[in-house]
Amino acid sequence: MTNELNLDREAHDRMTASTRRGGHKTRANTIVKATDHATPLELSNITIHYGGGKGGAEAVNVVDDFNMTLHAGEMHCVAGRSGSGKTSILTVGAGLTLPTSGRVFWEGDSLETMGDDEIADRRRALIGYVDQGGALIDGMSALENVLLPAVPDGEVELRRDMAKDLLDLVGLGRRMRHRPAQLSGGERQRVAIARALILGTRVLVVDEPTASLDRAAANRIISILKDTTSDGIAVLVASHDHELVRQSDTLTELI
Amino acid sequence: MNAVQRFIRSRVLLLTASILIVAMCLSVLVQGQSQAALSRTVDQNSRGLYDVLVQAKAGGSGGLMQPDIATGQGGISFDQLDSIRKLSGTSVAAPISLVSRVTQNLEAPRLDATDYLGFNAGLAGTAGDPTATDPSKWPAAESVLSDTPKKYRLTASAVSSDGHSDQTLFKTTAEGSLGKAKLVEEQVAGGKNVRIQGPAGETGIKFPNPAGGSEHNLFNLSVSLPMAPPVTESVVAVDPVSERALLGTAGDFLAPLEKAPPADARNAGAIGRHFESLFTNGISMDQLKEGPDFLGVKLKYWAPLMTQYQQAKRDGQLTADSQAIPLIVRSGTALDLKYSVKIEEIDDSGNVTKDVGTVTRSLDKDYLPFVSKSPFALAWPGSKDLSNLMGDTGSFSQGLNNPATWTTNFAAAPKYKDGETAANGAVDKSATPGDWVTVNRLPDKAANGAAVDQTQRKPVDERAYRDNLETGKKLATPLAMVYGTFDPATVKEAAGDVNRLPLGGYDPAPFTLTKDSSGTAVNTELKPSLSATGLASQSAGAITDFYGLAAARGYDANANVIDAVRVRAKVPGSWKQAQPEVEKLANEIRGMGLQATVVAGSAREDANIAVPGYSKDDAGKESPLGTVQQSWVRQDAADAVSGSLTATNLTLLFLTLCGAALLTGASTVSYVRKRRSEAGTLRAMGWTQRKIRSWVLAEFGVGAALLAVVGIALSLITWSAATAIVSASVLVLYAGAAFVAAQQLRHREVVDQEPQHDERLMAIDSPLTFANRQLSTNKFNTIALAVAVGVFGASVGGLVALLIDIPRAAGASALSGLAAASIALPSIILGVSGVTVGLVLTMVTGRFELQAKRQYLGTLRAMGWNPDMLGQVRFFENAMVGTVALPLGVVGALGIGLLLAPYAALWAAIAGLVAVLCWIPIATKVVQ
Repeated sequence: MTNELNLDREAHDRMTASTRRGGHKTRANTIVKATDHATPLELSNITIHYGGGKGGAEAVNVVDDFNMTLHAGEMHCVAGRSGSGKTSILTVGAGLTLPTSGRVFWEGDSLETMGDDEIADRRRALIGYVDQGGALIDGMSALENVLLPAVPDGEVELRRDMAKDLLDLVGLGRRMRHRPAQLSGGERQRVAIARALILGTRVLVVDEPTASLDRAAANRIISILKDTTSDGIAVLVASHDHELVRQSDTLTELI
Repeated sequence: MNAVQRFIRSRVLLLTASILIVAMCLSVLVQGQSQAALSRTVDQNSRGLYDVLVQAKAGGSGGLMQPDIATGQGGISFDQLDSIRKLSGTSVAAPISLVSRVTQNLEAPRLDATDYLGFNAGLAGTAGDPTATDPSKWPAAESVLSDTPKKYRLTASAVSSDGHSDQTLFKTTAEGSLGKAKLVEEQVAGGKNVRIQGPAGETGIKFPNPAGGSEHNLFNLSVSLPMAPPVTESVVAVDPVSERALLGTAGDFLAPLEKAPPADARNAGAIGRHFESLFTNGISMDQLKEGPDFLGVKLKYWAPLMTQYQQAKRDGQLTADSQAIPLIVRSGTALDLKYSVKIEEIDDSGNVTKDVGTVTRSLDKDYLPFVSKSPFALAWPGSKDLSNLMGDTGSFSQGLNNPATWTTNFAAAPKYKDGETAANGAVDKSATPGDWVTVNRLPDKAANGAAVDQTQRKPVDERAYRDNLETGKKLATPLAMVYGTFDPATVKEAAGDVNRLPLGGYDPAPFTLTKDSSGTAVNTELKPSLSATGLASQSAGAITDFYGLAAARGYDANANVIDAVRVRAKVPGSWKQAQPEVEKLANEIRGMGLQATVVAGSAREDANIAVPGYSKDDAGKESPLGTVQQSWVRQDAADAVSGSLTATNLTLLFLTLCGAALLTGASTVSYVRKRRSEAGTLRAMGWTQRKIRSWVLAEFGVGAALLAVVGIALSLITWSAATAIVSASVLVLYAGAAFVAAQQLRHREVVDQEPQHDERLMAIDSPLTFANRQLSTNKFNTIALAVAVGVFGASVGGLVALLIDIPRAAGASALSGLAAASIALPSIILGVSGVTVGLVLTMVTGRFELQAKRQYLGTLRAMGWNPDMLGQVRFFENAMVGTVALPLGVVGALGIGLLLAPYAALWAAIAGLVAVLCWIPIATKVVQ
C-alpha cells in the first residue's frame, strides 16, 4: 500500500495501529514519540460503526480497534483521506459521540462512568473542540463567540479580557467585533481556536483546521497550534495537510 | 426537471399541500356528515301532530306561543270549522274548547278499624253471591280494638302542596272511647233481632259536623272523619272523530265517545230512569262487573251515574232540561292532597299513653274524577280489609253519591308580561297576578241538614293567575255520564317531546320552579291548586264532545264556542317539504278572518316566568314564588336552529381550512426563503428575476392545481356552494402565499458590513440571552414562525369559541338541544383536526430552522454546555417566539371570537393563549 503522506523513514517504521473500514482490512500508521507528559486523553480499543439501523442501510465500520494516548504538550495528528474516520475519532475523543465499543479516558477517568452533565462539565474544563470550519455562531461577534464557553460558569465578564488577549494572540485583535460572516475562513478558524482555549483547556481537539485555507493562512493556524503545545496543551488534530502532519509530534494515519 | 418533478422532490411543498388537501377532504367530509345529522334531527322533530293552529285572535307572544290553547274564550264557529275542513289542503281539523270547571265534593273520609266478629248467618247477607267466600271458610273473629273500651284521640288533618311548600288545610281533633264490638240479640216485636254494638262504656268518637260519628258494622269500626276540601277539575270538548284522527292510536280512548247518543237523546231524567230500571229489574253479576250496554258502549261506571242521578233528583237539582254529559275521565291526578289521621291512646286526664300511629292517604293514580267513591278511606294501623269475604260487588261499590257542581264561571289561560330575552333566545316573562280565590270552605249545612261547625276550618286564599270568564247561560244541572277513562301520559307521549304542540287541556305543560323567591336554585315541579286557578294546571278531569259543551254552557249548536282548531295539512314529508302547502293552507284560513299560526317547524322552548304575589301570610303580606319554567312553543324553531347551526358548521369549516391555508402559506414562505442560495446560483447562471420567480411559482402552481382539483371534486361531490367558496378561499390563500414566497427570492444587496457593537447589544451570558440573540439575528424566520404560531392560536381560539357557542347559537328550544347534540361530535372532530393540522403546520414552519438550530446546539455542546442549558436554550427560543406570537394569537382569537361568537369571545382569547403556551413545550420537544 502506498503511503500518501510525506513521512520520514523512521516514522514509517513506527506505524503500529490498524483499523478496519467498510469490512476491508486497513491500517493506521502511528508515529509514537516518547514523552514524559501526563495523559489527558486516551482512547482504548475504539470501534465505531455507523448504519445498519432500521432503514436497512449496510453497516459501515469506520474505525476498528483504535488505540491512542495523548500526552500533555503533544500534538497528535490523525491523518487520512476523506471519510476515513478522522472526525469520528475526534468526536469520540471529545466525548461528543459514544464509540460502538472501546473506552475513552480523560485524565485517567473513563467516560463510561460519567453522566451527560458530568461529561459536559469535564469537557468544559479539559477539552476545547474546534469543528471543521470553526462552527461559529452567526449573529455574534468574534469576541462573543470566544466568550460562549464561559457562559455556563457565569464567567463571561471575568474572561472578557482573556478573550481579547486570545484574539490578539491569534491575530484578530482588530476583528473581535466582526461577525462570522465578515471573517475569512482562516479567521473563523482562529476565532474557533481562541474560543476553544478560553477556559484554559488542556486538550485541544481540532478538526481539519487548514481545510480550504491558503498556505499562508494554514501555516498561521499550524503555528498557533504548535504554540499551544508549548504551554503544555495537548493537541489532537485531524488533517490531511502535509505540513500539519509533518509538524505534529505523533501521527495516526487512517488508511 | 419539470415543475411537477421539482414539486414532488421538494418534499416540503408536497407535504404542506398534502396536509392542506387532507385537511380539506377531512373537513368537508366531517362538515357534510355534521350537516346531514343536523338536517336529519331537525326534520325528524319538527312536524308535530298538527301543522296550523287556528284561533280566533292573536296571542301576540312574538313567536313564542303559550301552551294553553283551550282558553274558554271561544271565537270560532262550527260553520268556520266546516269551512276549514272543506279546504283542499286540510287533512284533519280538530276543534277543542274549554267547557267548564267542575267542583266535586269528595265522599266523606273515614277511618276503618278491623273489628270482625266472625261469620254470622244473620248478619252476613251474602246469600246469592257466587263470588262470596263459603261461610265455613270465613276466618276466626279478630279486632284491633280491645274488649274494654279505650280512650283515643284522633287528629285528622289535610295537607295540600303546590310542590314548593305545604299548606295545612285543617287539623281537627276528636276524642272518645272505642272497643271491640259484640253481637247483641234483642227481642223485638215479631221475633229476635241481632245487631252489632260497641262494648259497654264505649262513647264512640264524633268529629264536628258535617262528619258523622263512629259506627260498628260487620267487619270494622268506621269513624266518620272531617270532610276533605272540594277539588276542581276542568272539562274540555273535542270532536272525538277528528281528535282520534289527530292523535292516532293514542286517541283510541275517545272511541266510546263517538258512540254517545245525539243531543236529543241525552235527557238526564230518561237516562237515569233507564239505569234505575236496570237495577230494579235485576242485573247480572257480569253486567255489574263490565257495566251494562248502553247504545253499544259498556258503561263500567254506570253506578256513579245512577247514584248521582238519584241524589240530584232527591235534591231537586234535575229538571226536565237537564242533560246527561258523556265523559271520558282522567285516570289519576296531579293534585297533591294528603289526608292523615293520627291515633293516640290517652288516659282520663288526656295524657297520651300510647302512640297508635298515623295513617295517611293521598289522591293518586287510582283516583277518577266523577267516579271515585272513597278516595280517603283510611285503615287503623294493623287493620285488614275483610269485606271481600262478602264477594265482588263490582263497579257498584264505585258509586259516587254527590253530583258535581258545574260552573261556567271558569278560568282563562294565565296572562304574562314580556321580560328580557337571553342570549340564546330564551324568553323571560312575568305572570300577572289576578284575584285571590278562597278554598277549603265547608258547606253551610251537612247532608242531613244539620248546621256545620265552621270553626274547624280556616279558609285558605290561593292566588289566581287566570281571569274568570263568564260564558254562556247556566242551564239545568247536567248529569255526568262516564264513558271511559284516559291516561294523560299516553297522550303526552303521542305529542312527542321536542315538537310538543299543545293539544289543549288534556296535556298541560308542567311548571318547574327553578329559583325560589330568594334566588336559590331549586328544581321542583309545581302542582295544581285546589281551585284550578293557579299557574299550574293538570290534564282535564274529563273530555266530552261539543253536544256536551252545549249542555253544560247552554249554547246552541252553532255558537262561536270553539277555542282552537288544530289543522293537519294534507301533505306528507318533513316540515321543510310541507312548508309551502302548509303556508298556503294557513293563508286560506287567515282569509276567513281567523288567526292561523303555522306550527310545523316549531319546537317547545322553556320560558322563564317570574311569579309575583304568589302567597300571603296571616298579616296579608304578599310574597313572590320565584322563577318558574314552562315549555312554550317557539314558532319557526326548525328554521332558526337549522340556519344558525348550518352557519356555525360552515364557519367551523371555513376557519379550519383558512387557518390551515394561512399556516401553509407561512410554512411555504419560510421554505422558499431557504432557497435563496438556489436563486443566487440561477442568477449567476444568467437567469432573470422574472424567470426565477416563474421557476418557483411553477412549483406552487402544481400544488395550487392539486388543491383546485380537490376543491372542484369536493364541491361536486357535496354539491354545496359553501364547499366551493371555502375551497376557492383556500386556493386564493395558497396562491397568495406562493406570490409572497416568490418575492422572497429577490436579490438583496448586503449593506450591513459594519462591525458589531457589542456594547449596544445585550451581553450573552446565559441561555436566555443566547436564545434572544439567535432570534434577533434571524428576524425573518422568527417573525414568520411567530406569525404562524399566532395564526395557530387565533384559529384555535376561534374554533373553541364556535364550539362553545354552539348551544347559544342553536337557541333555547328543545330542538336546539337535540340539534346541537347531533352536530357536537362532528364539530369537535372538526375542531380537533383543525388544531392538529395547525400544530403540524407550525412544526413544519419551524422545521426549516431545525437544522441550523441543531448545528449551533451541537457547537454549544462541544463547548461544554450541559444538556440542561441546551434545553434552556431550546425552551427560551420557543418561549420568545411564543411571546411574540401571544398577542397575535390572543388578540386574533378575541377578534374572531367577537366576530363569530361574541358570548364566547373571552373563552376564545383564553383558548388562543393556551394554544400558544402549549405550542412552546411541544416545539421544544420537537427541536430536541
